[in-house]
Amino acid sequence: MNDDRLDLSPLDPTRDPVRYERAVGRIMDAAALPLARRRARLTAVGQVSRWWRPMLAMAAAVAIAAVSILAQVQPAAAESELSTSPLAEAMGIPSTVATWMTSGTAPSPIDVFEDIEVEP
Amino acid sequence: MRVSWYGTMTDTRELVQRARAGDARAFEELVRGHYRAAYATARALTGNDMDAEDVVQDGFIKALERLDECDPDRFAGWLLTIVRNRAHNVREREQVRATASIEDVEPAGPDRTDIGAERDELGAALNEALADLSPIQREVVLLHDMEGWKHREIAESLSMSEVMARQHLFQARKRLRELLSRDELKEYLP
Repeated sequence: MNDDRLDLSPLDPTRDPVRYERAVGRIMDAAALPLARRRARLTAVGQVSRWWRPMLAMAAAVAIAAVSILAQVQPAAAESELSTSPLAEAMGIPSTVATWMTSGTAPSPIDVFEDIEVEP
Repeated sequence: MRVSWYGTMTDTRELVQRARAGDARAFEELVRGHYRAAYATARALTGNDMDAEDVVQDGFIKALERLDECDPDRFAGWLLTIVRNRAHNVREREQVRATASIEDVEPAGPDRTDIGAERDELGAALNEALADLSPIQREVVLLHDMEGWKHREIAESLSMSEVMARQHLFQARKRLRELLSRDELKEYLP
């Protein structure tokens, strides 16, 4: 089938070297900026500048998650510490005082006096 | 440098990888190596040299921007798909412009037609004859007879069977011969 090939060389865009070079030159001019961007992406600074925004966003997300987790965990931990009666005793806190603290209710003056009498 | 789809695949792969890193020389080699094929496709779809050159330029720049998406082993076919899409866009734009206002349609003068080809009679006659073919026939015959692509390469690029590519080439050549023989250009026909 190749023997039947038509001579289409008059349509060959490379036939006129001046025009062809001009066309390639135009493409390369237009490509200069995208190529420069590609080169910049490969440098260390380019990598940093490329990734700093997503990294910052990720760090912010991690920080928010950490703060919310800590906010939930800390009160629970404090509560569990205070409710531990042996620990309160070890620290010299009277058991009734520890009970008041864990219950979250304020003792009446009578309760205080009674307690002082019971545990001098 | 003239690059066939399969012939210099290793070179093309390396050039694509270097161009991805921003190597201007590698990109220029890709442009030079694929210019004729890209032009053949653009020319087949737009029907004139000026639009074809614009489409080829746009196509190469778009390809550069999206080079990371390309399988380096299939660069030529991938590039031609981009060129083909851009050519379709240009053609649609031209059609819209033509239907929007008859006054806006530029006359078929030397500025809109084939500046290079009009330099000689054969070029003009070839353009006229090619205009009578379907876009797919034009693309197949230009890729095969001007750019030297193989049936397998054309079939793969145009997502058709090899048999169908051969059929399009046969029909295109037959029609071109009929048209050109009428134009007293028989000496250029094999």
